Amino acid sequence: MKTDGAKRPNMAVSIGRLMLKNPVITASGTFGYGEEFAPYLNLDRLGGMVLKGISENPRPGNPPPRIVETPSGLLNAIGLENVGIDAFVTEKAPFLETLDTTVIANIFGESADEYARVADKLTGVKCVDALEVNISCPNVNRGGMDFGADPEQAAEVTRAVKEATDLPVIVKLTPNVTDITAVARRVEAAGADALSLINTLRGMSVDVYTARPRLANVTGGLSGPAIRPVAVLMVWETVQAVSIPVIGMGGIMNARDALEFLIAGARAVEIGTANFVNPAAVLDIIGGIERHLGDAGVDDINDIIGTLDCRRK
Amino acid sequence: MEQMRKRETGIVRSNRETARGHYVIEVELPGLFGVVNPGQFVMFRPGAGETPLLSRPFSVCSQTETGETTKIELLYRVVGAGTARMASLRQGDTVNVLGPLGRGFDMDEGRRVILVAGGVGVAPLISYADRRRAQEEGGRVRIIAYVGAADEESIAGVDRLEQYCDEVKIATDDGSRGFRGTVTELFRTDVEHHEKTASAVRACGPRAMLSALADVLDGHDIVCQVSMEERMACGIGACLGCAVRVRLNDGSVGYRRVCKDGPVFDMEDIDWHED
Repeated sequence: MKTDGAKRPNMAVSIGRLMLKNPVITASGTFGYGEEFAPYLNLDRLGGMVLKGISENPRPGNPPPRIVETPSGLLNAIGLENVGIDAFVTEKAPFLETLDTTVIANIFGESADEYARVADKLTGVKCVDALEVNISCPNVNRGGMDFGADPEQAAEVTRAVKEATDLPVIVKLTPNVTDITAVARRVEAAGADALSLINTLRGMSVDVYTARPRLANVTGGLSGPAIRPVAVLMVWETVQAVSIPVIGMGGIMNARDALEFLIAGARAVEIGTANFVNPAAVLDIIGGIERHLGDAGVDDINDIIGTLDCRRK
Repeated sequence: MEQMRKRETGIVRSNRETARGHYVIEVELPGLFGVVNPGQFVMFRPGAGETPLLSRPFSVCSQTETGETTKIELLYRVVGAGTARMASLRQGDTVNVLGPLGRGFDMDEGRRVILVAGGVGVAPLISYADRRRAQEEGGRVRIIAYVGAADEESIAGVDRLEQYCDEVKIATDDGSRGFRGTVTELFRTDVEHHEKTASAVRACGPRAMLSALADVLDGHDIVCQVSMEERMACGIGACLGCAVRVRLNDGSVGYRRVCKDGPVFDMEDIDWHED
């Protein structure tokens, strides 16, 4: 292997008191509970992993078809299918305990109380380093985006979770609002340790030959490159509106895409749809960021974060 | 430790239309790719460009190992933007292939096997018949295939099936070749006979065809495995996009992943009465 003797750049970042070995995290719902990807990459290389959303009771999810590809995007209505907190602890957690990466559990509830109960139960689970609170799923009848679209309810869920746990609490925001910074500020005031954004944009696709929606759920959430410019904008706006760390996501397919978010002020990024295209996509993204830093002569990733220069030339 | 797997880069060796709208693409892959069990599938996308975004799942039709490399053949029908792009691939183009994936057919179900295929559903059954014929030990396997298509011009893969099967019966919707009607109506005319003699049925095709086959087999004592199709994003069990409704042991219904728990399921496990 060729080495030029150059020191590898520091890739470690902090999200408040949560330390990550690098800023690249796999996004909830796109990486299972890690195990499915173990044959394809060394999971210890990840900056972190956000688990598939966990609710108090098992959820069967929505009827199929649940997904459809749209221009540069993926429209989904999975419906938060998951095994429930008890089966997570007995069946999924033991594997996660063997890993040397930051594990963030994504939690979901149909009431503030349910969010709090799931947070409380996960707080004792050894492999869980932080919680990401999903108040932004567009594909469920109750809970999810109902909370995230209303600043008052978003704050209520945040407070309930904060009271139930001493783990770092990241609140995941929906883009399906007029002003995401209004929700962000209220969630910050309610005690959130960090924010992550954006969840999927609501969308719909119609089969013109059958005159039927292409998802059984009729509507879905859009991810992939199609939503990236929207996501970069919302991250940039939110970073300026709050003082807690922001994790950016939305259609990141490669290192250049990830750097857009970091330069706009995100302290870390989450990778979602790209994991479906190539199960080892995150390794390419981590390596690409390292090369970019090397080429730019920057020896610490933190020196890139928030360096966006909007002055007129 | 289990050997690490990865999405492989393959090279297109040929890509030709073999029946109206139906193509066979031959892809050369590194020899480490692994042996495909009949009924298993790959996630496939063109190597260049960002359209389509996601890979598409295809059952593997055949595999030829040549030491350093392995060649696989996929049979596909052009139905949307992804398969239209696939049809434009030329010899020498690079493609991304993840696999082999999923659960294939059980291979030890006796010596008289019935295959029922609709359209491109013939692909995994070609692979199945080939393997059964290659692994004949202690007596010949008798394989009878039923193949359905819209019309004579769109019958794909029958020449391949005929290499391995003792008999291939064809049904077309317009009667331009063989039986006029659906492949399950054709199969129904023989089901009493097969119940007395056949040991198993293997089927692949559109859901409506498989559902009709389930009706035909209802009350008859023949085991059947079906290969199911559903839209997929990841192919490895993570996205939960390819859900299929199944009957659970306790009598309730739930979802299973076509990519990981299938694509081959026991027919009796599928909930065919889904809306």
